[in-house]
Amino acid sequence: MASLQIRNLIKDYGSFKAIRDVSLEVPSGEFVVMVGPSGCGKSTLLRSIAGLESITSGEISIDGRDISKVEPFDRGVAMVFQNYALYPHMTVRQNMGFALKIGGASKVDVEKAVQRAAGILRIENQLDKKPKSLSGGQKQRVAIGRAITRSPDVFLFDEPLSNLDAALRSQMRVELGRLHAELGATMVYVTHDQTEAMTMASRIVVLRDGIIEQVGAPLELYNFPATRFVAGFLGSPRMNFIKATVHTIDNDHLHLEAAGLAGRLRVPLLHADNALDGMQSGTDVIVGVRPEGFVDGDVEGYRDWRIEGQVAVVESLGRDTLLYLNGGGIKAFDSESHEGYLAIHRTRQLQAVHGQQLQVAIDPGAAYVFDASGKTCVFPLAPNHLLAGAA
Amino acid sequence: MGSRFRWVQVLLYGFVSLWSLFVLLPTAWMVIGAFKTKREFFLDPLGMPASFDFDAFERAWGTGVGGFLLNSMFVTALSVLVIVVVSAMAAYVLARTDNRWMRLVYLVIVAGFAVPVQAVIIPLFQMVSGAGMLNSLFAIVLPYAAYGIPFTIILFYAFFLDFPRELEEAALLDGCRPVKTFFHIVLPLMGPAVASAAIFQAVFIWNEFLLALLMLTKPAVKTLTVGILQLGGEFTSDWAAIMAGLSIAVLPILTVFILAQKYFVRSLAGLGK
Ligand SMILES: Nc1ncnc2c1ncn2[C@@H]1O[C@H](COP(=O)(O)OP(=O)(O)O)[C@@H](O)[C@H]1O
Ligand SMILES: [Mg+2]
Repeated sequence: MASLQIRNLIKDYGSFKAIRDVSLEVPSGEFVVMVGPSGCGKSTLLRSIAGLESITSGEISIDGRDISKVEPFDRGVAMVFQNYALYPHMTVRQNMGFALKIGGASKVDVEKAVQRAAGILRIENQLDKKPKSLSGGQKQRVAIGRAITRSPDVFLFDEPLSNLDAALRSQMRVELGRLHAELGATMVYVTHDQTEAMTMASRIVVLRDGIIEQVGAPLELYNFPATRFVAGFLGSPRMNFIKATVHTIDNDHLHLEAAGLAGRLRVPLLHADNALDGMQSGTDVIVGVRPEGFVDGDVEGYRDWRIEGQVAVVESLGRDTLLYLNGGGIKAFDSESHEGYLAIHRTRQLQAVHGQQLQVAIDPGAAYVFDASGKTCVFPLAPNHLLAGAA
Repeated sequence: MGSRFRWVQVLLYGFVSLWSLFVLLPTAWMVIGAFKTKREFFLDPLGMPASFDFDAFERAWGTGVGGFLLNSMFVTALSVLVIVVVSAMAAYVLARTDNRWMRLVYLVIVAGFAVPVQAVIIPLFQMVSGAGMLNSLFAIVLPYAAYGIPFTIILFYAFFLDFPRELEEAALLDGCRPVKTFFHIVLPLMGPAVASAAIFQAVFIWNEFLLALLMLTKPAVKTLTVGILQLGGEFTSDWAAIMAGLSIAVLPILTVFILAQKYFVRSLAGLGK
């Protein structure tokens, strides 16, 4: 158990800046998940901590000891790689005991550590197999076991679940959660999968182009994303982004106009710290509505924000239904947002079919507003909780 | 499957069969010839022997083919060992370094591969002679190794470029410095590459003639290729004995090649990736 501090970390590959000034404190025992799109520098950051990449400048310390110039092995970190990186010519037992053996531990101690790790991961009866004869999930367990036998101060995971199928992935998420609780160890976990981040993290670090975009607990980031990037990245399906223009601002409402909406969207202003400086009539903004931020089109009081559209795709998830709506004049504008369709989440079963006409309405109380630079200006009053009743 | 494809297949198989015959027939003729009597050899050069007896093999063996065989085995085994060990370590360093001077070293080694033995044979002979290393089985290993190492480095270099880096990184985190990583992780996984390099070099060295002719002139140190030549001098008319000697020379390396060809083919196929 140990804390990890990263101060002003910079990593350049020639003229390309992979990590630009990252600072982060990870308290002892925390499960921190770094999440971000592919290429944002997650692996580079993790590998810098492990000592597999030399850093350009900055400081990495564990429990206050600067390790940025220390040999990888002496840093007290263990890493689990995306494609397992098990030694193919060794048995599971040898794989897991290798670090201790190299470190000069006695046979008895190695065996004890291997047995303990195998017990935690429930792979006791795989110990004499070679990696080749294991399934993907078993291989990943062995890779994790190899880390556990070393009892490192900090565990590093680089997208460890991305080679597994969906069912196994969700099973391993639970297992990793249990492992963290059981070992109480400090863990840094890297993934591009927002579900893994939301479900496993004590704290999420959102990375973008080598910079930390925002840090916080999963629901904190989900409910109060500081930027449109974070808002779009966390949550599945993605938040819908709609172009709008400021009409007027009064004491407690922002009045917005959007092409295709009959009335003006009255977004309540409840958070005192919302930065509306510089906003005036005519300023372009972007409204963000999560898929659960819609109500039925004929609900009293919401009719002004009605959207009429055709159902493009229906995804019945069992209890819930996801609808992708071709909203006519109103459409999600960025290409990552489901091809311009509005994603709508209903917490009930719906018998919708492709092409069917459907009315929904935006709930202005569930809307986020982002300024042109992507900063969040308005958060909803109480994200999500209004919507459960309305849907 | 169209008939066009069938025809291409038939043509290809026909071509490969003809080519195989072209290569195998003389070999078969050599082996069959070794079983003939002297009379049969001249009266019916292409026919079959009346009986399969080993007289010719005994005559050939009697002239010291056994000694040549041992010399060849020793020279081949030692050369291959030196080539594989040196090349593996050199190629590993070359494939993993960021140092630009090392790139230059690699280029020089590749260039060395392109120099034909014949072009430097006279200076080479003078050097070996000057060092007093003529007629030494140990000494001839040195030029053999020198000629085998460049190609083997290229082969291993390609292997290392494809070698999964995570394994080495995992080893680094597990406490291995590069030397330990090489011996604990990389070397044990080099099997196919080593097998193909070894078999390739073994065949070349076993069959090498020119250097052996120049540097091994005493009968006691002759290898098979030059030893058989001596056989030709001794038995001017005993072609059956010469064929028997040649068969003895070819058989061991042929056996090794057939046993190891699985690795050989696989590893060469991997080179194209
Ligand atoms: N060895 C390298 N040389 C040059 N650029 C690199 C190197 N490794 C990674 N990069 C670049 O750095 C960026 C971040 O890479 P990486 O950390 O692997 O991203 P992620 O793991 O988030 O997908 C990418 O744009 C990648 O192309
Ligand atoms: Mg990565």
